[in-house]
Amino acid sequence: MAKSPQQRDLFPGALEMMILQSVRYQPMHGYALVQHIKERSNELLQVEEGSLYPALQRMLKEEFLKAEWKISDTNRKIRLYKITPAGIKHLEHEVFRFERMLEGISLVLAPAKS
Amino acid sequence: MNWLKQAVTRGKIYDDLAEEMRLHLEEKTERLVESGMDRKAAEFQAKREFGNATILEERSREIWQWPIFESILNDVRFALRQLQRAPAFAIVAIVALSLGIGASAAVFSVMDAILLRPLPFAHQERLVVPVMASRTGLAQAYSYPSYVDMRAQLKTFDALAGYAGGIDNSNLEGPSGPASVRLIRGTDNFFTAFGVKPILGRTYLLGEDQPGRDDIAVLSYEVWKTTFASQTNVVGKVIRLGGIPYTVIGVMPSGFRFPLSAHNVIYTPLHPSEAQRKQRGARWVRLVGLIKDGVPRDRALADIDRVLSDIGRAHPNTDGKLTGNLIALTEDVNSLTSGGKVNGPLVMLALACLALLGIACVNIAGLLLARGVKRDREMALRAAVGASRGRLVQQLLSESMVLCICGLGGGLLASWLLLKAFNVFLINAMARGADVHLNLTVVAVALGLSLLTSILASLTPAVRLSGTDPNWALRANTAGAGAGRNQRRLQSTFVVIQVGFSLVLLMVSGLLLRNLREMLKTDLGFNPSTILATEIDLSPGRYVGRDPVTGFYQPLLERISHLPGVEGVGVIDNLPVQSWGSSQDVHIAGHAPYPTNQQMSAEIRFVSRGYFDAMGIKLTRGRMLSSEQDRADINPAGTVIVNAAFQRKFFPNGDDPVGAHIDNDPKIKLKMGIVGVVTDVRQNLQDSPLAEMDELMDELDPKLRRDYLGNMTLVVRSNGDLSALVPSLRNALHEVDPTVPFKTPSTMSQVVSETLIFQRMESWLLGIFASFALLLAIIGLFGLVNYEVESRTREIGIRMALGSTRAQVTRVVLGRVSLLMLGGVSIGWGLTLALRTILATVVRINAAQDALLLAGLTASLAVIGILACLPSANRAASTDPMRALRSE
Repeated sequence: MAKSPQQRDLFPGALEMMILQSVRYQPMHGYALVQHIKERSNELLQVEEGSLYPALQRMLKEEFLKAEWKISDTNRKIRLYKITPAGIKHLEHEVFRFERMLEGISLVLAPAKS
Repeated sequence: MNWLKQAVTRGKIYDDLAEEMRLHLEEKTERLVESGMDRKAAEFQAKREFGNATILEERSREIWQWPIFESILNDVRFALRQLQRAPAFAIVAIVALSLGIGASAAVFSVMDAILLRPLPFAHQERLVVPVMASRTGLAQAYSYPSYVDMRAQLKTFDALAGYAGGIDNSNLEGPSGPASVRLIRGTDNFFTAFGVKPILGRTYLLGEDQPGRDDIAVLSYEVWKTTFASQTNVVGKVIRLGGIPYTVIGVMPSGFRFPLSAHNVIYTPLHPSEAQRKQRGARWVRLVGLIKDGVPRDRALADIDRVLSDIGRAHPNTDGKLTGNLIALTEDVNSLTSGGKVNGPLVMLALACLALLGIACVNIAGLLLARGVKRDREMALRAAVGASRGRLVQQLLSESMVLCICGLGGGLLASWLLLKAFNVFLINAMARGADVHLNLTVVAVALGLSLLTSILASLTPAVRLSGTDPNWALRANTAGAGAGRNQRRLQSTFVVIQVGFSLVLLMVSGLLLRNLREMLKTDLGFNPSTILATEIDLSPGRYVGRDPVTGFYQPLLERISHLPGVEGVGVIDNLPVQSWGSSQDVHIAGHAPYPTNQQMSAEIRFVSRGYFDAMGIKLTRGRMLSSEQDRADINPAGTVIVNAAFQRKFFPNGDDPVGAHIDNDPKIKLKMGIVGVVTDVRQNLQDSPLAEMDELMDELDPKLRRDYLGNMTLVVRSNGDLSALVPSLRNALHEVDPTVPFKTPSTMSQVVSETLIFQRMESWLLGIFASFALLLAIIGLFGLVNYEVESRTREIGIRMALGSTRAQVTRVVLGRVSLLMLGGVSIGWGLTLALRTILATVVRINAAQDALLLAGLTASLAVIGILACLPSANRAASTDPMRALRSE
């Protein structure tokens, strides 16, 4: 049950935000999503692969995502996730909030550095 | 909705999830193999990087669930299995809860209908019943002229209505023979006071109580529905009431009823006779008033007193020195028909219920506690495999929830049965008795009580169990080892409380039942089992210009006296035991004026010559009344026979009442003479015989006979089978006047038990509660002792191995039981003494007189308790030391 430190450091909602951003322009299946996040983060974020699935289920339930079974180019059975309009809205909202938060944190940290 | 769709398609969602995760691992493994890894190592690494698939899948699934709900559902399933495994426990617990909840719900239904539910009138808080406070403090009605004066002069009332006919029945000539209805005659503003609109037609207009315009009738919903089959065209129809035609002008809604105890009512305007319009001495108008909005009751009362003293100054002889009193209508309707207050007994019943519920509660707590000990190991095991304290409490709570829901079901059933059983009692004993139904509010109350009970009951064991140290509990290898000293003390306390509560209930119901038996055994002055009585209501319309005495009563009595088996027959206007209170102030001519603080009044009755014989009343002095000598034309002053109580009251120094005169007329020749003294009969069951004077109905002024003799009661004495007489009585009545409805006669014994209906209900209810309580307490005691013996088998074995005899072991066990009973008995007595004042509203406790009864009840409770524990004591004594020690 112990969580890896990397994962614990992700703030709640971070993984969901990254998933939504990842599938925003291109539908992806679970394995591809993990690879995508790893590559894009320059391997800085070591996401426990399986932890993707609770997040995906949560967003399916909220109807931010839609899923359908497909056969991939490599002839694999895959479950492809697409973003919904509600998902886009949620993503934009979350990104906005995240940026505000980051800005706030940076402001607090700035004087300490100087 | 969405969640519903999810619940249905959940299986598919889970399948997709599992498949997707499997494919993920597969793809990952293959990629790793492609990159040149050994398949085994690739599988291992894929799994490692994926994380704990089982937990992740579980967590993903949870997203689609309501976790708390589902875990509760599981707990409930588990709890049901647990109950199945211990059916004795389940049955006792559910029965205890059902009894507690059922009794409470039933009694709260009654309280809700009687005390809490608003009256079916607008502005009930402004409705009052103005009564006259007389010199002796008795509430009296008003005379018609003073009502008219008050209505004109009062400033603080929106409406002051008068009505009459509280007990008058009238004959409605319907298509299927005459039907008896109750006639409520009101002034033209009668309906204005209540502010209730009719559902059909209209109510009275102003001035419609004047002669010539007053032959109109408003039907109650009940009469409209039953007698007129809810015809909507009933308005405008002419009906005959007591032989007189009335036009129906309206129908009231179903909720409207006034007086609240009245059923089958037809409302008509008040028809005061010419004499009644002028007589200030005759007080027969009852009032109901609507106080102006915002006027406090004491200002309204001051207003009434002002008007009354004005009237008193104008008519000092009849209305001098009168003061009024105001009773809120809500209080007025809650009094019993017998005049007592219902609140006291109801509060008592509510307390009894709470006691029963309390007993049920501690009983279940005790049961759960004892059961909990046996489950210590199970709980420890659960804790050891990772169940949190909260989770354990949740599970235990759900188990008691299951119990509580079963208890709720059983309780609703029990309360429904109780209410059904007491339906007749309620209707007869309380003004609003017929309104008592098990209602939703009460169901909510029952649910609340049941939840409270179960949570209270489960909390103690739950908290204790969840604190169990798994290590310790798993290591201890006997079930009894978990039973600490505290636990046993708690259980003992529970048992002691139960015994105490049930002793209180036992004592109260014992006293009530004894009182009831005494009242039933009262010497009535007549033999109730040989006398039949039935009410006769004449239709006044048929006796306009006809004498009801010669035209009806004499031929009827004549016919009945010749029926085979009849030993005596007569009529009286107020049947003993059933009705009383028709009295007047009496002064014996020649006596000094009586002190004003003494109430020197006597009951007055009109009877037929044969009445005394029919009741078995004996003449002790003087002569009987006779139709020949005591006639209005021969003897205008009138003559009466008085009873022994009258003699004791007015002639305390032994003077002879025969020959004395009653000071009812200034002219000496017109003073009523006393011609004889007869033995007493009880006018009511509560009081010793009242002073009474009886006048022959033949003596009454023929002009008054139609009004005075319209409602009489026939009494018939027979030595044979009373019920065999009924058909011939009906024939005799219908031969004389076919328009008089024949009401099935009751024996005087039935009349007596009907009058005691509330007392009977009260005693039986409390008796039932007490037996339930006793049963539960004994079960609790038995359970505790049995359990103690069981858990101490080893200790007893050692004692016996060391030389204890069987007698000694028995003594130890019974000593413990006696200690518990002693505690319970002291609590019971303490509570009874502490609650003395509340208990006194139902039953007076006279320590000296009741000592024997109370001591007997206490002793039998103790004996029952000890007897119940004998099997356990016996079992302890027959413990085989070798086996007890080996069973370790």
